[in-house]
Amino acid sequence: MSPDIDKTPDLLGPEDEGLLQELRAAARHLDPPPDSVLEAARASLTWRTIDAELAALEFDSAVDLAATAVRGSEGPRLLTFAAPGLNIEVEVSPIGPRRQLVGQLVPAQEARIDVRHAGGVTTVRADQLGRFGADAISAGPVSLRCHLGDAPSSPPVVTEWIPL
Amino acid sequence: MGASIDVRDLARAAAAGDQHGWDGLVERFGELVWSTTRAYGLNPGEGANAAQTTWLLLAEQLGHLEDQHERLGVWLAATARRESLRLLGAARVATAAPNSPPATEPAAGAQGREALLWRVVRELPEHCRRLLRVLLTVPPPSHEEVSAALDLPAAGIAAARAACLQDFRHRMSNFSIRTEPEGS
Repeated sequence: MSPDIDKTPDLLGPEDEGLLQELRAAARHLDPPPDSVLEAARASLTWRTIDAELAALEFDSAVDLAATAVRGSEGPRLLTFAAPGLNIEVEVSPIGPRRQLVGQLVPAQEARIDVRHAGGVTTVRADQLGRFGADAISAGPVSLRCHLGDAPSSPPVVTEWIPL
Repeated sequence: MGASIDVRDLARAAAAGDQHGWDGLVERFGELVWSTTRAYGLNPGEGANAAQTTWLLLAEQLGHLEDQHERLGVWLAATARRESLRLLGAARVATAAPNSPPATEPAAGAQGREALLWRVVRELPEHCRRLLRVLLTVPPPSHEEVSAALDLPAAGIAAARAACLQDFRHRMSNFSIRTEPEGS
């Protein structure tokens, strides 16, 4: 039962260690991760896309403008994802427990877009001007997977997951 | 050292699509991710949202994180922190009610000494409440993981922990004095 020896010196005395163990037991009983959270975590691997090009979240008005947000401002949330050679801009509007997305591919091009969300996968098309829209997206983590019309043989572009 | 090799093996297997390897990562770090979201005061629904986003991000990026497979706990803690702050930011914009701490009532019906301990934890100043919530993870997180979860320098964690436990003891003794007459 010897504790793991950490490389960093630890000042934890036996009294503190005992108290921490007691508190740890309390945390386990009173605030454990819900089974549904662990189940969703285990299921997450099935959502990965092999060989996808990742589009990173570059801008999120909810975070990047939060410091300067006008109190009570009701405009849509704006997101920008960036991959090499492609930007994906999305406006998000809440409609009750659902989310409505209106988006734009830059540069403009046709594409098939899988909107992946808690309710499943909603597939929509971006038109020649790169515009797309999706309704009735479930609140919670959302990711877009874009199969670009200009390059049907190249890997899809997948955005980071973001809770909407 | 053994633990980090295990994590690396699990990560390599999971990156190749092995569900057992992935489940091993969830078992190892599931509580750390959850504790981090709770440390920031997210309620259980928001915490679930932030935790799920964190795991989905890992699933998508695991293949690109080969140089961090040994330190996945640090990556997960930092990501859970970022997603928790994002949800807090989004909620603040949506409600225009800055700095209203969400309620984090523990399970109703909790009784006895554990309930008392938990109540005192929740009465601690915010920095101590956060630190303890992450430290109380099973298995206990490394200092680097705590540092990533809370954006604190790793070198200061042992001292902060000692001070917060001291504060906790002080409050517990006050609490005992306040409630003593009931026992007579």
